[in-house]
Amino acid sequence: MTTEAHVEVKNLEKRYPVQKSVFRSAKDFIHAVDGVNFSIAPGESLGLVGESGCGKTTTGRMLVKLLEATSGQVLLKTDGEVVDIANITDKDDLKSFRSDVQMIFQDPFESMNPRRTVYDTIAEPLTVQRIGTVPERETKVAELLNLVGLTPAESFMFRFPHELSGGQRQRVAIARALIVDPTFVVADEPTSMLDVSIRISVMDLMLKLAERLDVSYLYITHDLAVARYMCDRIAVMYLGKIVELAPTEDLLANPMHPYTKALLSAVPVPDPSYKRPPVEIKGGISKSINPQPRCRFYDRCPMAREDICGPQDHPPLEEKAPDHWVACYLVDKQSA
Amino acid sequence: MALEQKPGDLQADPLVALEGAEDLPAIELTDPLWRIRLRLLWRNFKKNWGLFAENKIGLVGLFIIGVFALMAIAHPVLMATVWGGDNTEIYDPVIGYDAVVKEFIVVEVVTDPLSEIELIDARFTNINAQVGDIISQPQQPAPPSSKHLLGTDPLGRDVLSQLMFSTRAAFFLGMVAALVTVFIATTVGSMAAFFRGFVDSFLMRLADLILLMPLIPILIVIGGFWTIELWQLGVIIGVLNGFGGVAIVLRSQALAVSVKPFVDAARVAGGSKWHLIFRHVIPNVLPLSFLYMMFGVTEAISLEAVLSFFGLLNVDMSWGLMISVAQAEGYLLRGLDVWWLLFPAGMAVSVLAAAFFLVGRAMDEVVNPRLRQR
Amino acid sequence: MTTPLVEDTSGLKSGQTLLEVDNLIMRYKTKQGYVSAVEDVSFVLHKGEALGLVGESGCGKTSIALSLLRLQADNGEIMGGSIKLGGKDLVPISEEEMRTHRWNDISMVFQGAMNSWNPVYRVGDQIKEALDLHWPTRLSRAEVRERIGELFALVGLPADAQDRYPHEFSGGMRQRAVIAMALSCNPQVIIADEPTTALDVIVQDQILKELKRIQDDLDMSIIYISHDIAVIAEVTDRMAVMYAGKMVEFGDTADIFSAPRHPYAWLLLSSTPSIVGPRRQLAPLEGEPPNLLDPPTGCRFNPRCPFATDQCRVEEPPLADIGGGHMVACWNYEDVPVGITAGGVA
Repeated sequence: MTTEAHVEVKNLEKRYPVQKSVFRSAKDFIHAVDGVNFSIAPGESLGLVGESGCGKTTTGRMLVKLLEATSGQVLLKTDGEVVDIANITDKDDLKSFRSDVQMIFQDPFESMNPRRTVYDTIAEPLTVQRIGTVPERETKVAELLNLVGLTPAESFMFRFPHELSGGQRQRVAIARALIVDPTFVVADEPTSMLDVSIRISVMDLMLKLAERLDVSYLYITHDLAVARYMCDRIAVMYLGKIVELAPTEDLLANPMHPYTKALLSAVPVPDPSYKRPPVEIKGGISKSINPQPRCRFYDRCPMAREDICGPQDHPPLEEKAPDHWVACYLVDKQSA
Repeated sequence: MALEQKPGDLQADPLVALEGAEDLPAIELTDPLWRIRLRLLWRNFKKNWGLFAENKIGLVGLFIIGVFALMAIAHPVLMATVWGGDNTEIYDPVIGYDAVVKEFIVVEVVTDPLSEIELIDARFTNINAQVGDIISQPQQPAPPSSKHLLGTDPLGRDVLSQLMFSTRAAFFLGMVAALVTVFIATTVGSMAAFFRGFVDSFLMRLADLILLMPLIPILIVIGGFWTIELWQLGVIIGVLNGFGGVAIVLRSQALAVSVKPFVDAARVAGGSKWHLIFRHVIPNVLPLSFLYMMFGVTEAISLEAVLSFFGLLNVDMSWGLMISVAQAEGYLLRGLDVWWLLFPAGMAVSVLAAAFFLVGRAMDEVVNPRLRQR
Repeated sequence: MTTPLVEDTSGLKSGQTLLEVDNLIMRYKTKQGYVSAVEDVSFVLHKGEALGLVGESGCGKTSIALSLLRLQADNGEIMGGSIKLGGKDLVPISEEEMRTHRWNDISMVFQGAMNSWNPVYRVGDQIKEALDLHWPTRLSRAEVRERIGELFALVGLPADAQDRYPHEFSGGMRQRAVIAMALSCNPQVIIADEPTTALDVIVQDQILKELKRIQDDLDMSIIYISHDIAVIAEVTDRMAVMYAGKMVEFGDTADIFSAPRHPYAWLLLSSTPSIVGPRRQLAPLEGEPPNLLDPPTGCRFNPRCPFATDQCRVEEPPLADIGGGHMVACWNYEDVPVGITAGGVA
């Protein structure tokens, strides 16, 4: 992983105890995120793709310090300095972290307090971090409303969330994330609740702003078509592990991991004449409680080999082709 | 799973999608922020009032409360004017006295206590009284007359004046109890929900404990040790109510609010714990708090009547005390004969308590949109 | 059992008209006035056919489905048109009579139904309830078990799953059980409202394949309702595009996808991303859907339409056949560029 990475995640883990009681400590753990490694270059947009329960949202929440990691590191480069976000505890550092790293949430209907106006919501990071005076904040909010296309700003500023449509709310959420000029934004399925036509304009807006404001994104989604539109690289997660990580078009054209192949072949295509390849996967998704020390995909893998995959632990994420990382023993290394 | 589910639950409310399209007047940005906020508050109030006013029951409740409030305001005015001056001695609700003189027939055995008097009693007034005589004697309690519209009580005091005077105490008590309830319940509920873990367990077990205590017997025991002042009663009811059931209800509401994404969003924005509690959790719990405030008033008014009836409350005059006096003088079981001693006070307690309850029910529909009829 | 599991009671051959909806108008009465949720909608459903209704939220696609079952919300009123099932109009009949058709002739997989199983009853007992309510004769306990077992086999669930509780099912299994319930009383038509919306793609793929197989095996007619045009492209034979309560385009799915003629359908297809084909810039659709309390005059799409003319603002275009059963409600459909497939404009 490159030294000029903006965000670098090393062996990140999150475990949740199952059934904790007063009398005994937990023995069983859900391995929600199980040793994840990736890095995001400045200005890059990395897609984190997977089915529900694969740990993609948990990963995102750890990157913005909404959740504490069980182990592992998240290194963030700010002002030329590399800091481990776990060490950010004192008030001033936390304040600058909150200005550097922001998050856009999935549900535009739930991510705004119904009792606060658009102004209150967008200006919140400024208010709580005591940045600027009230008139300055007003100007800044108006500026951002214009930026996200809610014009004229005056007519939106003092509306309540229920007076906005879904697309407008998500624009407000974007404005809130961008008001502190962050360098890194975690976007957790920001468009999955929006209608198709509105979705594109919100995605376009995010792309445009990323370019103009030089923001790096971690874009969490279950929709590969959306990830393709938004992301430079895509990481595919399965049961807390990244199984494949490659540049977007490379991943789509040349998926190597059997899970990625299954996932890609299951995505419906808006073209009645297109015939999808069969989805090769066995059984249903398993749980990540105390997983066996072998490939997480073993039980569902159509090409699993007992002699190779059976006795070994989960395969490491290796560069099987230039910049194409796969965690599978059965994928041969291709020469560059 | 119900086969024919109520379609309303499943299908997107056509109006929800449309609300955004509604054209709102642009607010001039030149105004200072506080003025804009004031205007928004007014707009929200108007909207909520519209929802409240749809419910006739709530309006009836509000009207009744208004009538009682007028009574409370009218009393000092009347005391200063019509009932004032020389009449103060007669109409004062606590120390007033007016013996209405009436003629009685002296009999051996009384069949009609309002026109007949027993020989032994008559001789207290006139030692020479004989059966068949007619003697003039002050009557108390006296039935309604033009001078005393609701008659007088067994001690010769004007019932209407007492009734109106007591309204103030009822409102005062209700207010104290309700405010204390809301303050405690909202704080306790929100803190428990937000901090979870030990704070939650501790506060909720305390709530369980308080919930288990029987309110009236405890108040009677407390009243046995020292005389309770009205405001003390309000605080006691507020604490017991607020720490008990209401806190538990508000905690579950706060729990639902504190896991909403907007709380996470505020956290990512850099908000402190107190910012999250006071700006995000509590404002979304408050409507429910106000609802319980109304029900709290109902309970406080009824409890006051009970305690005054037992004579455990240090209060000059109240509706409960009025009934208590009637009981002490042995008129409780005389029913219709002395209706003015029991009926006005009893009705006042029931009607005002009911009125607050009705307002609460109507507010419930504003607070819980699920109850709203389309 | 010698009789087929899901009996064909229509007596129709594949391809014959099963359901005919004519000028259906359904409006919700609100305090501010009528919300015209379904306005003048006509279509024909053939035996054995899969029909798709596609559109954004609030476009009236679910309202059509609920009207077909006469299950629209209490304030919804069918104000005109007819719904002919096998020649019989369902609009004027009494609620009691409607009940004999509901579930037995038309059934529905409600949106989100997979999450509304009652957690305290076994799945089988909840399907039994449906059979008790709607099955024409009284079934014994053993018959019910047998029937549910067969239905489960049909949707790819083990027969003994009926003794389990909903929380023991995965999302995909719950949705399969919902489909089994919809099939329980031999319907001729199933309306599937967003049948895979909450599911992950791999499970979605399995459910869609299962539905397709049931449709083929039983010669069933299915109406798919979805906001996801990729799903509609995959499973339907013919489709209708809805906008603001009106049907704006109707025809063979292949025809519409290869050459959408209504500007809205065209924009909808161009704004759908895809993982196959070259990566393209997608065309955003500006603006918001109209307020149905007071829809725009003329064509309802005119405020957002790039091809709108003065005529569009005044006169409402009828849904007209432009050849080969391809119907379009647009004055200027000839202006819509041809040669654009879903996945975006180049």
